[in-house]
Amino acid sequence: MVPRTNILGKRVGKIDPGSLPAYVASGGFLALRKALTLQPEEIVHEIMAAHLIGRGGAAFSAGFKWAAVRRETARPKYVVCNADESEPGTFKDRYLLEGDPFRIVEAMAISAYAVGANRGFLYVRGEYPLAYKRLAHAVAESRRAGYLGLNLWNTEFCFDIEIYRGAGAYVCGEETALFESIEGRRGQPRLKPPFPTTNGLFGQPTLINNVETLANVPDIVLNGGQWYRTLGPLTNPGPKLYAVSGHVRKPGVYEATMDLTLQELIYELAGGIPGGRRVQAVLVGGAAGTFLRPDQLDVALGFDTLRTIGATLGSGAVMVLDDSVDLWNVLRRVTRFFQHESCGKCFPCQLGTQRQAEIVTRLAAGNVHPGDGAALTDIGLTMRDASICGLGQMASSALLSAFSQFSLLPREDEL
Amino acid sequence: MTETTETFTYDYPAIEAIVTRHEAKGRAGLLPCLQEIQAFTGWLTPDICQLVGRRLDVPLADIYGVIDFYTLLYREPVGKTIIRVCDDMACYLNGSEEVLSSFKKWLGIGPGETTPDGKYTLEVHPCLGYCDLAPMAMMGDDVHGHLTPDKVADLLEVK
Repeated sequence: MVPRTNILGKRVGKIDPGSLPAYVASGGFLALRKALTLQPEEIVHEIMAAHLIGRGGAAFSAGFKWAAVRRETARPKYVVCNADESEPGTFKDRYLLEGDPFRIVEAMAISAYAVGANRGFLYVRGEYPLAYKRLAHAVAESRRAGYLGLNLWNTEFCFDIEIYRGAGAYVCGEETALFESIEGRRGQPRLKPPFPTTNGLFGQPTLINNVETLANVPDIVLNGGQWYRTLGPLTNPGPKLYAVSGHVRKPGVYEATMDLTLQELIYELAGGIPGGRRVQAVLVGGAAGTFLRPDQLDVALGFDTLRTIGATLGSGAVMVLDDSVDLWNVLRRVTRFFQHESCGKCFPCQLGTQRQAEIVTRLAAGNVHPGDGAALTDIGLTMRDASICGLGQMASSALLSAFSQFSLLPREDEL
Repeated sequence: MTETTETFTYDYPAIEAIVTRHEAKGRAGLLPCLQEIQAFTGWLTPDICQLVGRRLDVPLADIYGVIDFYTLLYREPVGKTIIRVCDDMACYLNGSEEVLSSFKKWLGIGPGETTPDGKYTLEVHPCLGYCDLAPMAMMGDDVHGHLTPDKVADLLEVK
């Protein structure tokens, strides 16, 4: 049995995403209403008990962040929704933003109440104009109907959301680069520590969560952390969105618990490979992800299960490459992507992504020099160890995994 | 090709009104302010940058630094509609190279160039996040998916 769920996407495509009455009629804002009858600590406790793992790519414990921001005494505090989804192959946040925007508004309000913030910022990718339009409408409608603003449900709690649009920079999905961008600067990451929980947006304690992470919150508040832990594997509980693209019959977003195998996702949910072709490779986690071989399709798509085979789930992007593909053309795009998106602040990444792209472009053209493999490994490991943010740290991940999974480079003695 | 700006509404009082709306936020108003103005003018001229800098209290060098950092902000004239063709992995796997060639052929320009009539600017873009619609392109704010060379010709109304 394919472990499909219908929690995060229950409204997507079913109700009018522009209609507040439709959202409320389908159980919307019940969780916020319930949250406001609880102590903030109780909500943080439920998120902890749920073992909610961040869905943005870094797989950090959401409860841990919430508790840390809750503890801070400095005021004001802020909550930020990271909707700057830009990882190649990833479109699951867009699915939620376009299909159920009110849910994100509600979840942000709950998170603000839990950590003691009164202002929220939603930073949505610039290339998502429809998502922006729907979010702006959802925020305005919620405000008009009194779901945002002063003294919600006659409590002390006040909360409002300001929307920022990204302007075309992958690195702004990095939390501190996102803060810089809102503050009107070039989107370059800050050195950590200090972490956002103590010194985030405008230097204040800040809770920042990915869209999909927040989308889990209303159901956890309504049903409890214990209920959430019964969904899927105990170590990786809860529903997960998988964005499937490439050579499959039905590309799209699929929701399941994290015991779903890659085989089930590709063949049972996404309809298999068109044209009678076979799988050559699967890129899991986008450009910052890792390649898997066709004999590894029985792996479950959880954070920990993928780690045991040296891969990462990342954002949950799954790109399928059939046996007609020249992998070099794909690797050239991966390295060109990081070359373009490196912000240039720290030089392992600034120089490493340039050299990496140059060498891979030459290799893709069939021009192999002795020592290329060693040079790319050296560049890759240096970026991984010495870059200040995830972009540089992961910029060689897909390339080096392709080298270890497939025999792409000729042996040195054959050159 | 500065003449392309004349295809946009260039209404100084309207620009000042946008700046006034964001002035109180200071530097945190910079990105939305530039984005809103650009939606009007197409690109950010030196006099716009000076006005924004003066009113939001941001040095001009920083404004140029910010604009040049972000792909979607322009300090040079661009066409009335910007065509962004995705040529990243998922789109490549589904035929983006052919799609890009037909855009180039019908427009008679290469990536980064603007048609002589100022109507279109063509760009090759990293993953735009619509991989379920691959191969795809955006024309302004409109998303066009499952593109073929024929569909490209239809979009550009060249047939």
